[in-house]
Amino acid sequence: MAKKITRRKFLKGAVMGGVALGTGLGGYRVTYGQAKKSAGPIKIGGQGAISGAHADYGWQMMAGATLAAEQINLKGGILGRKLEMKFMDEELKPATAVKNARYFVTDWGADFLFGIDSSGSAMAIGPVLPELNRLFFFTHAATHRLTEELVAGKGIKQIFRMVAPVYQDALAAWVFKDNPEIKRWAGINCDYEYGYVAWNLFKENIKKFRPDVEFVAAAWAPFWTMDFSSHISAVMAEKPDAIFSTPWAGEGVMLLRQALMLGVFDKIQAWWQGMGGSVDLLEGISREVAGDKFKGKLWATARYIHNYPSTPDNKAFVEAFRKRWGKFPNYSAEGSYSAIYAIKAGAEKAKSIETAKVGAALEGMELKTPAGPRLIRKEDHQAVYTVPAGRVMMSPDYPLPILGDLKVIPANDYFRNPPFTPVAATK
Amino acid sequence: MMKLKIFLLAALILFLLFLPAFAGKYLLYMTIHILILSVFALGFNLLLGYTGLLSFGQAGFFAMGAYASAKILLVVPSLLLGTIAGMVAGGISALVLGYLCVRHTRIYFSMLTLSFGMMIYSLAWKWREVTGGDDGLVGIPRAPFDIPGILSINMNPMGNYYYFVLVISLIAIFILYRIVNSPFGLTLKGIRDSENRVAFAGISIRNYRLLSFTIAGLYAGLAGSFLPPLENTVTPPLAHWTHSAEPVMVTLLGGIHTFSGPIVGSVLFYLIKDIIVRYTQYWLIWFGSIVVFLVLVFRGGIVIFFTERIWPLLKKQQRR
Amino acid sequence: MRGIYTEKMLEKLLFQSLIGLSFSMYLWLLAAGLTLVFGVLGVLNFAHGSLFMLGAYATFTLYGKLGLNFWLSIALSLISVGIIGAILERLFIRRIYDIDLAYQLILTFGFILIFDDLVKMIWGGVAMIPPMPSFFEGNLSVLGRPFPIYNLFIILAGIAVAIILWLILEKTWWGRMIRASASDREMASAIGINIPILFTTVFVFAAMLAALGGALGTPVRVVAPGIGTAMIIQAFVITVIGGLGNLKGAFVGALIVGILTSFGILLFPVFELFIIFVVMAIILMVKPEGLFGK
Repeated sequence: MAKKITRRKFLKGAVMGGVALGTGLGGYRVTYGQAKKSAGPIKIGGQGAISGAHADYGWQMMAGATLAAEQINLKGGILGRKLEMKFMDEELKPATAVKNARYFVTDWGADFLFGIDSSGSAMAIGPVLPELNRLFFFTHAATHRLTEELVAGKGIKQIFRMVAPVYQDALAAWVFKDNPEIKRWAGINCDYEYGYVAWNLFKENIKKFRPDVEFVAAAWAPFWTMDFSSHISAVMAEKPDAIFSTPWAGEGVMLLRQALMLGVFDKIQAWWQGMGGSVDLLEGISREVAGDKFKGKLWATARYIHNYPSTPDNKAFVEAFRKRWGKFPNYSAEGSYSAIYAIKAGAEKAKSIETAKVGAALEGMELKTPAGPRLIRKEDHQAVYTVPAGRVMMSPDYPLPILGDLKVIPANDYFRNPPFTPVAATK
Repeated sequence: MMKLKIFLLAALILFLLFLPAFAGKYLLYMTIHILILSVFALGFNLLLGYTGLLSFGQAGFFAMGAYASAKILLVVPSLLLGTIAGMVAGGISALVLGYLCVRHTRIYFSMLTLSFGMMIYSLAWKWREVTGGDDGLVGIPRAPFDIPGILSINMNPMGNYYYFVLVISLIAIFILYRIVNSPFGLTLKGIRDSENRVAFAGISIRNYRLLSFTIAGLYAGLAGSFLPPLENTVTPPLAHWTHSAEPVMVTLLGGIHTFSGPIVGSVLFYLIKDIIVRYTQYWLIWFGSIVVFLVLVFRGGIVIFFTERIWPLLKKQQRR
Repeated sequence: MRGIYTEKMLEKLLFQSLIGLSFSMYLWLLAAGLTLVFGVLGVLNFAHGSLFMLGAYATFTLYGKLGLNFWLSIALSLISVGIIGAILERLFIRRIYDIDLAYQLILTFGFILIFDDLVKMIWGGVAMIPPMPSFFEGNLSVLGRPFPIYNLFIILAGIAVAIILWLILEKTWWGRMIRASASDREMASAIGINIPILFTTVFVFAAMLAALGGALGTPVRVVAPGIGTAMIIQAFVITVIGGLGNLKGAFVGALIVGILTSFGILLFPVFELFIIFVVMAIILMVKPEGLFGK
């Protein structure tokens, strides 16, 4: 009796497996045939976080890139070929990101890749790119290791980063170097690579300008921290003059709201919110800014802000984006928009969409982008462009808070330059 | 019946052997992933299906295997050495932690394994000198399959690496098949169905459970060791509980009391997910619905669960 | 010198534990329902965190978007999540009472995925946060440092829920039925308790507790897809530490986890996650039935 059941079950299992494999194979073979083609549209595969608490960042990428592709297609495409785009969820998981990249190239037939929010995902995809032989334009992941180690160090030429890396967070050192009253700094930072490096770069740099500053406390918040009160009260116990913080997206909103509740802004001189210039974060605290709850002490930057530079190019981009999507673009939208235009510039200069040729064409090129001129640095494939820091405030020209009192420090001053020395990334 | 079974098995193996001849790179890549998950889930099912223990921390041993293999490959470019290191790491850590876990059963066992898995996860995340933190270890080479003086096969082409994973997986699956049909396997089932009866027979239940746990760890480590050469990277999410949920899910979908259940489940898992994510950004809702549907309506696994576990119990009561 | 140091340290720890206490209360509201459902229905509900999230979204919509009164919004949120809970229990959870733990976990895991995507479809992916009700603004001075009135309110609310729960279980007819069926389902059925209806009401009640946690969090914590899942593992840890199905244990477990996390952030910021799981493992090994288990 028992044996019979086992056999029947095995048979059922085997048949099911066969059917499953068969259907799967059918699906794969249909699409596989398209992988090798030379005419037809140029295919661009994008991925970012489109589920979970950071879903807006991936959405912004998709929106920015779609806008660029639509504009380009309207004017006849690239080298006479239209653009076709597909966007997938990276889930902030390196394994998923790599799988997506492989799917795009070896099955869907992508010619170019872009996107990625998580640094871990970026570091996982980087080493696979030579095998896939496609250029990847990273439009958010901020770890310095991507360009410093993988491009400048290991020579993976397929990597390009369109947005400012973690160097941008350390801009605080330049912003506050001339405030002698701020001596005691504390940090509330992300409990992952990005947070460690931002905090260390900041410490390294401000020490150079101001040997007298002290770092009195540091608290660390992992992904999905919902309650920052413990972090805030732990650092406030040391009575700092100013706070340097990196949590982003919704976590940044919560951190600032909870800091207000704990009366932090009555006690400190300044608060630096690294990526506080991102539109979603500004939207989240707009009521508090309008009510002057931060007392003008909240400073921030981003990898692009929509009110700088005030060039026709930038205004046209912001207008077009708002018209298309009914929202302001954040930095991952602008970065992805510029990435699509970088593909256009590179391909047109190389007169080809071959990976090596486009890659070589882009090296050292200066692109005209909404964020201003972007220089693709030859050694590390990092786009160098200036993003100012500013005070978070309301402006009669915008419905949401913006960064005002802008402090424009040239990117060349605060970006790290090759040859690179390792950054201390300890807590 | 037996003939048909052998015929089907042979057809499947032949199909897998000739796959690189007609399949594209991506299909090979996905098949490698399915093989990895199958090995991982088969080991897991030795615990769940055969020993009656639900581990919610298997990803910890998977990650131990992956990190160990990555560490070795970064120093010594020998694929086989990496694989062995992964297996050993998975097995030893399972032996040590298993010693602490197997004295408990049911939900206590599940929660204990969950906590050990999450400890491994936080170590992978925080012990950055060794693990590279959340950026993980990168640039792991797909080293050649190298036996000094005898042969050396370049593993860079996906097809070659596919054969490597396929052959080792088939061997591992065959060994496991022998294990579950050996006296040891029968004793495990005995423990699962009636702990007391086996205990009366003078058998140390704890040692049997520990051995089963260690074998599951070995298989998780082996599966983990396949990953770094494929992806060139290992990162902490490999040890997270959401990754531990994968073998649970595929085993249940395929059926826990059949040997081939986890394999069928792995195929379905990748197929469903891979097809959905191509068409919608709302893939979670579809995937979740399918999971709910399969558990509730398609009771393949559950039917077997009743016939083999509840049925004998009922019969025993009748006899009494 | 040393004396001053320790005194200051003591003050810091005291303040930090007060902060941790308010965090504990969200955990408690989540863990209470989880442990109640496990104790009575025998179901370990992974999707319990999703009910927390739905409570937060409902309150955000009613209070933050539509501008309803804060208390009314919370009440309506509880009712709507209660209805969702009833549907969930009647259509799905009911079918998995007697199924193996593994199936329960996977089925309810499926619901986590569904709910996370549903809220993204309806509300979008941006994390949102409504304004603080004006009567809760401001802070008190505790140990010379500002302590938010809202945190104090959360602590009191959590304690109040604990007392009410105790009263319900000990003093009401419904509570006696719950206790009877938790200790022996067949016996309870034999003495004429309508088990299916009792189970539905318990599940709905637990869903409302989770929704209350989510609702109370909205003015300070963001609403975003996945906020419930982020806490569910901590809630599991709490129910295990306290003893599965044990409400008193869940309360104490929540205090332990909340305050330990808060201390961890202050004292050993590297390994706070690690420590929580070490504590759970030790308790499981020494006293697997939990601190308050029988």
